[in-house]
Amino acid sequence: MGLPHLLRPWVFPAVLLGLLEVAARWMVPGSDALAPPSQTVLAFGRALTAQGDDSVLQATAFTLTSAALGLLLGAALGLGLGIVLGLSRRAAAMGFLSIEVLRPVPSVALIPLAMLVFGFGYRMEVSVVAFATFWPLLILTQAAVRQVEPQLLEVARALGLSPWARTTQIVLPAMVPRLFIALRLGVSIALVVAVTVEIAANPSGMGYAMMIAQQSLAPDLMLAWLFWIGVVGYVINLATLRLQRAVAQRMGEINMEQTP
Amino acid sequence: MSTASADGYRGRAHTESVLVLVLLLGLWWLASHQQWVSKVFLPTPEATLESLTQGLSSGELAGFTLDTVVRMLLGWLLASAIGVALGALIGASSTARIWIAPTLEFLRPLPASAVMPLAISLFGLSSGMVLSVVAFGAMWPVLLATVHGLAAVHVRLREVATALQLSRTAFVFKIGLPNAMPDILSGMRLSMTVSLIVAVVGEMIASQSGLGQAILLAARSFRASELFAGIMLLGSIGFASNALLAVLEKKLLKWQRP
Amino acid sequence: MSASPLLRFDQVSIHLGGREILSPTSFEVARGEFVCIIGPSGCGKTTLLRAAAGFLQPSGGAALRHGKPITGPSREVAFVFQDYGRALLPWRTVAGNISLALEAAGVPAQERPDRIAKVLDTVGLSAHAAKFPVQLSGGMQQRVQIARCLAQEPELMMMDEPFGALDAMTRESLQDEVSRLVQSTGLTVLFVTHDLEEAIYLSDRVIALRANPTPDKPSLAAMVEVKIPRPRDQLLTKEHPEFLRLRRELYGFLGHH
Repeated sequence: MGLPHLLRPWVFPAVLLGLLEVAARWMVPGSDALAPPSQTVLAFGRALTAQGDDSVLQATAFTLTSAALGLLLGAALGLGLGIVLGLSRRAAAMGFLSIEVLRPVPSVALIPLAMLVFGFGYRMEVSVVAFATFWPLLILTQAAVRQVEPQLLEVARALGLSPWARTTQIVLPAMVPRLFIALRLGVSIALVVAVTVEIAANPSGMGYAMMIAQQSLAPDLMLAWLFWIGVVGYVINLATLRLQRAVAQRMGEINMEQTP
Repeated sequence: MSTASADGYRGRAHTESVLVLVLLLGLWWLASHQQWVSKVFLPTPEATLESLTQGLSSGELAGFTLDTVVRMLLGWLLASAIGVALGALIGASSTARIWIAPTLEFLRPLPASAVMPLAISLFGLSSGMVLSVVAFGAMWPVLLATVHGLAAVHVRLREVATALQLSRTAFVFKIGLPNAMPDILSGMRLSMTVSLIVAVVGEMIASQSGLGQAILLAARSFRASELFAGIMLLGSIGFASNALLAVLEKKLLKWQRP
Repeated sequence: MSASPLLRFDQVSIHLGGREILSPTSFEVARGEFVCIIGPSGCGKTTLLRAAAGFLQPSGGAALRHGKPITGPSREVAFVFQDYGRALLPWRTVAGNISLALEAAGVPAQERPDRIAKVLDTVGLSAHAAKFPVQLSGGMQQRVQIARCLAQEPELMMMDEPFGALDAMTRESLQDEVSRLVQSTGLTVLFVTHDLEEAIYLSDRVIALRANPTPDKPSLAAMVEVKIPRPRDQLLTKEHPEFLRLRRELYGFLGHH
């Protein structure tokens, strides 16, 4: 078609939005569910300039903060235990059954428990995000440690390094590219779980703002939030991807067949 | 390692694994009985077990479990069928892929539950609403996997198809989709996880009968043992569905490692 | 040529990526001939083969089959790729892979088992019909590919360095197998290889190509008839004076100094 490359990704969504504009404005005007994109943009603009609870900034900050804190907690624990289980086959074998029993619990099942223990607010959401991100990071870290070249470990042993030195000087640096892949997954899970907790129960953050908009029969604001959640998720995932790729390039590619 | 000592090693590893689990259970027992954590938050293992057995035998918990499982499975089946169909349509045409792929990449990180408010506006607080969100949310891993699997057909196989003069439909069904099968199956496994999650969230929000609603009500009424029993059942559903799918996957991918 | 040639290249030139890979080249292939194309890497032998198979169009001149321009691939022309692993469907058994050619040709389902069995018997893989490609050795996988090509019942078979990825022993036994096959079916074969001895051993005629053609050194460097009697033998033929003479004559065209 001869369109410049930069415009091409926008054509399909533009067509869809155009159809939505037509449908919402002329086919089902006054609908509680659909709003024309033009109105949605206006509603979002109002929310951007609003203060207090309606503020976009506040809600976004809440979601991102809970996600980040939860990820920090889950990743720290997952990394720590993952390294231990990766280095010691015996420990891994011992923990196997317990992990297999606890891992399949869906994180959303813990929302009522977290609500019971912490009430509403940050702690409830952070704890659920931590649980959700702990398991994939545990598994991936364990695998990353296992995949460190056995020759490197032989060299470390031959050099007479202490277990601590072995871990910090050889194992950790060799794992870093794979850890960043795990981190990328953790970031996307953290965001999804945070928003889900807000939709299901927690009265704060982007998910909650969207629910309130729906309940107040303001489809334009609801769709604006939906779109904004999508944008935030996309941008953060893209940033993490770039970071992960940059790390992979700098730290050398060791068996990176899995990097999408 | 000789077979005897290898078996011995494995046997010891299994026993140690069981011991660790028992240890954790013991820790739970201790923590609840010694009130290290309030009984309101942490029920005793016996109380949980009793809630579980009573709930199942009375049919109440069993009914909720069935509701959730049916919701999850139905949504998953719909999602897989639509995901493969749409994915095949998009993936079969490289032009379609080029124009649509960026939009798919934008939709990929979106939480499945995020469309629930929209669905509520459209369909109200109903079972159908939850099912539609489950299907919609669970569709994406399968759709994306199908598109990717079709795009990843090796150029040599494409040339073989050209040399044999296969029609475009024949190419999709005889080469494209089978080639995508490993991706599609792992996408379906991910879909199942999403299905369970969205089903539970849907039950919580829309007050639909199921484990999601049951544990929410249990938490609100401070019935910790029932809450824990429900969580265990949800964990079991997650475990069983994943295990069954893994078996199915192995069977269908027998040709990789006959 | 008494009969009209099956394949004719009339001043065919091919440009790829701004470079002239093949300068205007002309030759003919008669029905039942076994023609080998040799040359150093970059001389365009694979490109020539693909043009003959219809995978790409010449930039200049005309490539004709039965006197008509080649517009694209055809079921009459079978192509054997070098990377057999990638050319087979890993999720289908040996029989299933061969069936693909029959399905593509619209052969009714009842007829397929017999035809598959026949072709498997020809390449000696009857015992392995139910195996998956991953369970077979390299040589066997290549035979499956050849069997699939035979199932097309083509009049022309193109082979692109088919034995390049195999060990010497497997290569020799497959060379003999293909020779036998071609002699019994009367197939016309265009065979690309960088192995001079293989080329002389298998063919009725050898075409040698040059890399980086210039106006005074065009792509077509030499075309020689191989008048060694058939059936040929791995040990005896390679000591035949005519074999040695041809080998000496063509040695220089492979880029050796």
